[in-house]
Amino acid sequence: MAVILIVEDDVFIRETAELVIRDSGHQILSAGDVEEALLILRSPQHIDALFTDIYLKKAVLGGCDLAREAINLRPELRVLYTTGNFITDAVKALFVEGTHCLPKPYTDYQLQASIEGMLTV
Amino acid sequence: MHDGAPGDEAVFDIIASDIVETVPSALIILDRNLIITSANGVFYQMFRTSRGETEGCHIFELGNRQWDIPALHTLLETVIPNRASVEKFEVVHDFPTIGRRTMLVNARKINRRGKYDGSILLAIEDVSDERAARDESKRNWQLSQSIVDTIRDPLVVLEFDMTIVMASKAFLTMFGSTAAKTRGRRISELGQHQWNVPALRHLMEKVLPENKPIENFEIEDDFPGLGRRVFNLNARKILQPGNHAHRMLLVFEDITDRKQRERDAKALTNEISHRIKNNLQIVAGLIAHEVRSTATPSIQGYRAMQARIGAIADLYDLISQSSRGETIAVDAYLREIAKTMSASLLGSTSRITIEVKAEALDIDSDRAVPFGLLVNELATNAIKHAFPGGTGRVVLSVEKIGDQIELTVADDGVGMKDKDAAKLPEKRGSDYVAIFVRQLGGTLAASRSEGTGTVVRIRLPLLLVPPEGAEPIAA
Repeated sequence: MAVILIVEDDVFIRETAELVIRDSGHQILSAGDVEEALLILRSPQHIDALFTDIYLKKAVLGGCDLAREAINLRPELRVLYTTGNFITDAVKALFVEGTHCLPKPYTDYQLQASIEGMLTV
Repeated sequence: MHDGAPGDEAVFDIIASDIVETVPSALIILDRNLIITSANGVFYQMFRTSRGETEGCHIFELGNRQWDIPALHTLLETVIPNRASVEKFEVVHDFPTIGRRTMLVNARKINRRGKYDGSILLAIEDVSDERAARDESKRNWQLSQSIVDTIRDPLVVLEFDMTIVMASKAFLTMFGSTAAKTRGRRISELGQHQWNVPALRHLMEKVLPENKPIENFEIEDDFPGLGRRVFNLNARKILQPGNHAHRMLLVFEDITDRKQRERDAKALTNEISHRIKNNLQIVAGLIAHEVRSTATPSIQGYRAMQARIGAIADLYDLISQSSRGETIAVDAYLREIAKTMSASLLGSTSRITIEVKAEALDIDSDRAVPFGLLVNELATNAIKHAFPGGTGRVVLSVEKIGDQIELTVADDGVGMKDKDAAKLPEKRGSDYVAIFVRQLGGTLAASRSEGTGTVVRIRLPLLLVPPEGAEPIAA
């Protein structure tokens, strides 16, 4: 069982993702934007992994910035991105090293597989 | 020249006559009264006259007064009396016998005791052809410059060593320079050295020796007085028949506004694509929720639905990346569909593969969704029915046949048994395949077992268009 922070600005997408990840036996923390996520990341709360959307509200690459800051705060943190945009090489270059991106729309199966893949790296 | 003189003068005359007959200029000697005392062969030849008509004649009376030229009057009556010699005195005159001529006259007054004292030696060089060529060249240059100046896009003509020979008005206006400041300078030295780009230099070095034009080389930079600009550079060798000069024409097309419009359109498309895919994620979530809350969920149905959603989502990825705007590349679209289907229906451990063989064709984006869903349905059918052993290959292909497009989905599976005939796509008028084929205005050309597998061929009307630059397909 791992503690996973989900950052997604669309409430429905965030909550359905929470359901799927919970069903896999993990504990969930959630945030709707970068600031909210940073508050959690700066707290003493134990967190194993970050699953973040890239385009967060008005921050086009908010998820990329958030992940970098999160790694600064917690170097051991695992990261998985998701996005509805096409993932260009320029965006990929902003990813934390060794991380992946799950493109939307994803299925429950794909989300579970990606989360497990991230945790076992 | 003049014979009969005794002593030293006779010797001098012999040497002088040899010299005057050897020089290429026309020579005449006038006495102090401007009477022609002698002339050389070149003079007679040049002015189509003879010794008999010339010697003893007053210069202005010669040949029906055709030498009665105001400029010559000035030279002989005003200039020479006050100076010992004059060089390159230009005389332009219309001679009745030889036409308009431009002559350079060197004149020298002889101050020597004896019979030549006070004589004037005139050396006449006919520079008419040289001047005509120079005037023609000047007119050509002015014509080229006027043509160059009428072209709206800035352009320069470069010498083989990349120095500027000529810059158009549009170039000078746009880059705030003058002809004097640009001529003779290297293109790489202009402005703030914006054109000093290794890739451009490399291409420019090939234009002349290899006759290899530069097509649409894009440079984006900050230009003094202009701000941020994007230029499209085109260069080619200037062909000059019979001339070995190596020059190139370099044209600068300002595409800043066009580029900005493209970027705005792309940002908008990306934004729309992002929203649509988020909405598709919501649909996927709704279906997943339905499956979870159903007592006996159809996992196969759920996965088929996810694949259909995936096929639509792939399309928006391609639309957001397409520079063509109105059309989508079919081969790329089929590959995306194959990739998504492999991920959603087969998984990484599957022994079933989906391959794509497609010509470079574009599909108009209005009909891309039913096309993608049609491919998805046919490939899903193959995966579902053709491989009971879990191993096989599905090939998605598209080719242009005449003015139609043939979409083929073939597998190397078990093929259809008689009892499956009722399940042939064309027999199932209510299923998605038939609906999408009807929507696209196509027909099922063939659907049969071939070898060990099944091949479904669908002929579609001209919903596909050739990619930009290719020959258009007649509608």
